[in-house]
Amino acid sequence: MGGECVLSDSGQEAPRSTWFLQGWKASRMFLIKGSVAGGAVYLVYDQELLGPSDKSQAALQKAGEVVPPAMYQFSQYVCQQTGLQIPQLPAPPKIDFPIRDSWNAGIMTVMSALSVAPSKVREYSKEGWEYVKARTK
Amino acid sequence: MSESELGRKWDRCLADAVVKIGTGFGLGIVFSLTFFKRRMWPLAFGSGMGLGMAYSNCQHDFQAPYLLHGKYVKEQEQ
Repeated sequence: MGGECVLSDSGQEAPRSTWFLQGWKASRMFLIKGSVAGGAVYLVYDQELLGPSDKSQAALQKAGEVVPPAMYQFSQYVCQQTGLQIPQLPAPPKIDFPIRDSWNAGIMTVMSALSVAPSKVREYSKEGWEYVKARTK
Repeated sequence: MSESELGRKWDRCLADAVVKIGTGFGLGIVFSLTFFKRRMWPLAFGSGMGLGMAYSNCQHDFQAPYLLHGKYVKEQEQ
């Protein structure tokens, strides 16, 4: 009796070569997935994306300089190949509003108003009382 | 700590948070598609890890204002 047989789901005997082929396909898929995941992890390690904050800031700055020209070239390539016109996104508006200065000025205004509020209330109350007294005479 | 230094630290913290959360999210997507049958928890796990690492970096940066960031250079024998 030559060869070892394995029972399949239907209960019939399946040849060993089929079992080996299925195992090879599964391991090949695992190798491909492992390579993709390992490549992603290595890319993160190589670029030091999960490292110190100054490295991450430099990586973000580099991405901001590289990505828009790459997107533009890709859109040009797609347009040449297919004839489709990909609309270009408008440039982000540059907001020239000094948030920090406005916030600081607002805080200082509110605090100075709160600091002079008691004396101002006393002064206005005194003036109002003098006015009422003059009207009732 | 001067106001300009404080502003620079905040900028660095925000950039660091964006990069780390994005990296964690991206790695979560990769592992979810390859090993975990398109489940959602690797994405949440990766994003959470990135957020935690960014928070820890920011906390260290703000609590150590006199710490200089430098590199260790080996002495070269003459």
